[in-house]
Amino acid sequence: MKSIADVVGASGLAGYAEVALLLFFLVFVVVGVRALTTDRAFIDRAANLPLEDESPQSPLSSSTRDHGRGE
Amino acid sequence: MTSPDVPSTVGPRNEFSLAGVSRAPVSGLESFTYDDGIVRSFMLATFVWGLVGMLVGLLIALQLAVPTLSVAPYLTFGRLRPLHTNAVIFAFAGNAFFTGCYYSTQRLCKARMFSDWLSKFHFWGWQAIIVSAAITLPLGFTQAKEYAELEWPIDIAIAVVWVVFAINFFGTLAKRRERHLYVALWFYIASIVTVAILHIFNNLSLPVGPFKSYSIYAGVQDAFMQWWYGHNAVAFFLTTPFLGLMYYFMPKAAERPVYSYKLSILHFWSLVFMYIWAGPHHLHYTALPEWASTLGMIFSVMLWMPSWGGMINGLLTLRGAWHKVVEEPVLKFFVVAVTAYGMATFEGPMLSIKSVNALAHYTDWIIAHVHTGALGWNGFLTFGMIYWLMPRLFQTKLYSKKLAELHFWVASFGILLYVVAIYSAGVTQGLMWRAFDTTGRLAYPDFIETVLKLMPMYWMRAVGGSLYIVGMFLLGWNMLMTWRSRPAVYEEQTFQAAPLEGRVVVAEHGEKVPQGVLQTFVVLAWHRAWERRWLFFTVMTTLAVIVASLFEILPTFLIRSNVPTIASVKPYTPLELAGRDYYIREGCFNCHSQMIRPFRHETERYGEYSKPGEFVYDHPFLWGSRRIGPDLAREGGKYPDLWHVRHLADPRSITARSIMPAYPHLLTDNIDFDAIQKHVDGMAMLGVPYGDAVRAGNASRMAREQAKQIAVGIVQQGGPAGLETKEIVALTAYLQRLGHDIKQIAPPAQSAAGGRP
Repeated sequence: MKSIADVVGASGLAGYAEVALLLFFLVFVVVGVRALTTDRAFIDRAANLPLEDESPQSPLSSSTRDHGRGE
Repeated sequence: MTSPDVPSTVGPRNEFSLAGVSRAPVSGLESFTYDDGIVRSFMLATFVWGLVGMLVGLLIALQLAVPTLSVAPYLTFGRLRPLHTNAVIFAFAGNAFFTGCYYSTQRLCKARMFSDWLSKFHFWGWQAIIVSAAITLPLGFTQAKEYAELEWPIDIAIAVVWVVFAINFFGTLAKRRERHLYVALWFYIASIVTVAILHIFNNLSLPVGPFKSYSIYAGVQDAFMQWWYGHNAVAFFLTTPFLGLMYYFMPKAAERPVYSYKLSILHFWSLVFMYIWAGPHHLHYTALPEWASTLGMIFSVMLWMPSWGGMINGLLTLRGAWHKVVEEPVLKFFVVAVTAYGMATFEGPMLSIKSVNALAHYTDWIIAHVHTGALGWNGFLTFGMIYWLMPRLFQTKLYSKKLAELHFWVASFGILLYVVAIYSAGVTQGLMWRAFDTTGRLAYPDFIETVLKLMPMYWMRAVGGSLYIVGMFLLGWNMLMTWRSRPAVYEEQTFQAAPLEGRVVVAEHGEKVPQGVLQTFVVLAWHRAWERRWLFFTVMTTLAVIVASLFEILPTFLIRSNVPTIASVKPYTPLELAGRDYYIREGCFNCHSQMIRPFRHETERYGEYSKPGEFVYDHPFLWGSRRIGPDLAREGGKYPDLWHVRHLADPRSITARSIMPAYPHLLTDNIDFDAIQKHVDGMAMLGVPYGDAVRAGNASRMAREQAKQIAVGIVQQGGPAGLETKEIVALTAYLQRLGHDIKQIAPPAQSAAGGRP
């Protein structure tokens, strides 16, 4: 009997692997570029988020939002 | 449900300074509290189920060394092993994830959980599922799919509870007061979405009784589906949730931000995008097409990079804080956890390389690999998190830091003993299976030889596991004593933050306010829209998972119409089907594979290698993943029926030092002939050509006739009389059928269907 590899090989899916690698590569490049070009200050603020929630009554990030509300 | 969100204005105390930036008083803040009660509940559940799951693990480890500890019918290795895996994965690690997720999500979102009622429903629903698993698995109700053993009513309950959790979680994201979604939340999102997809598609089955169902997939497709699920259950239940916890609790404990937030972005997307592709590495050298197998291997090897990116990110978070590791048990646990993650994620890609896999597959090596991850990564991250949470949740000092230190050292030593023993066992047995002597024959033709060699290592494993459990008791004592010194009433702190203003994008803290429309778009809309809009972000994550899944699964469905059918392969007779159900009930697949790989040492030992066409009627597939006993794919016809009767009744009457449990109840329990008709009808609905057997009563009648014939044969061979209604006859019929059909193949011209001569 034939092996399953023959059957799937004959069904023209061999290009699948290349498409998969290409897809991955594209996503990786886009994410990489995005991550590397992100604003430093924003990154710092984001990284500090877990350290900001300790003390009560301190609305740390809220203040900055008031730019748009005419403080 | 209370309404914790009370808008208020705030006074001068809100003048504060952060990162050198002074701010004027602000108005329009909302006050809110966090629900820590639910976190305490999940934490307790984590401990309790962790202890139960680990004790069951110790019991089954001992059952391998002392087989008489396997007490049939309910407490045999085959029934308890799924209980152990389900308990430690879904009960221990699951509750640990919920503990950390409920604690951190509220704080990262600056919002109480969406609904206290949904939180409670999630908690009690999940515990009820665990209890039902603990009852049904020893009773033998199982779907026979690893980590997806639970039968259909429980699967539906899991789906409901998971959706409730998702609503509660995403509802919290929707009402959050912090615009940026911290990276930990991304990992939670990916976990919640993907686990839902995995769970639903792998568990699609046809119920044929209150606790009995047949997978809608058969053979090769079922195997593909199962290992797409199995691999990604490890990824999205044991890895991504815990990476989320790492990204939150590691900075907390180290009191400094994560080493590189940019690396964490890269880590997340690479991991989410790549993990799904890697499933086929569980099926190397089986019926998998070559290219799919290679693709799975390549993506697995590539996965090493983002995994280590995450590990490095976690460890370097401790930059400048290493001195704290000396005195802080929490950090000790975290360091070992992240290191174990690094070791397991190096080993995983290595095991996915075909030549390594050829040695390691079916051996204890995989068990060792899994336990490096489970005991080291999941366990230690959980312990570190719990020790960090305890003083905060119980609002008192930790009862004893020294006990926590002791827990760390005892458990670390336990892990070491465990994995060294089981790595040795795996490599030893793998090498023995493939060894040939100088005359070209198998060096260890008796399978039992390769089992007995492992006994010292099994004992060492049991000692290592016991030490780990001693550590659990130390944790329990510490938790109890800390809890006892809690305040009479827990203080509920009030927090304040401004609500988010809809979709208006404004500059965040410390950033330049962008000028002009184009710049605003470039800096804000493009860069951060993803992280801000949880719905869009979730859709992107889901897309990454689905695209990769389709690439992995699509060939499966193409194969569906292409599996070379073997003319001589016929459906199981009604009696054999019943026997197969008993095989599933007893969990035989936990120790016996039914998949012979195309290696000379395997074909020498077991016979002709397995073909995909042999499994077209196997709902579910029973290839197995571990050979504690020999492969059974060609078992049929090897021994007379009486041999199976005696062997099942008492394996040690045949093989003196066999470690297989005895199943005497099979000789006394009656076959449920009425149920056979329902089961055959169910199989027919799934497309198995049962012909006349589906007519009412026919299947049962056919089963009775075959049972009578076999019983007569057993008596003629000198065996006991009166077995024609007993389960042993059905199971024997099934075992004698294994590999039978393919031997009927006559000349190649008649054998292969499927289009070509």
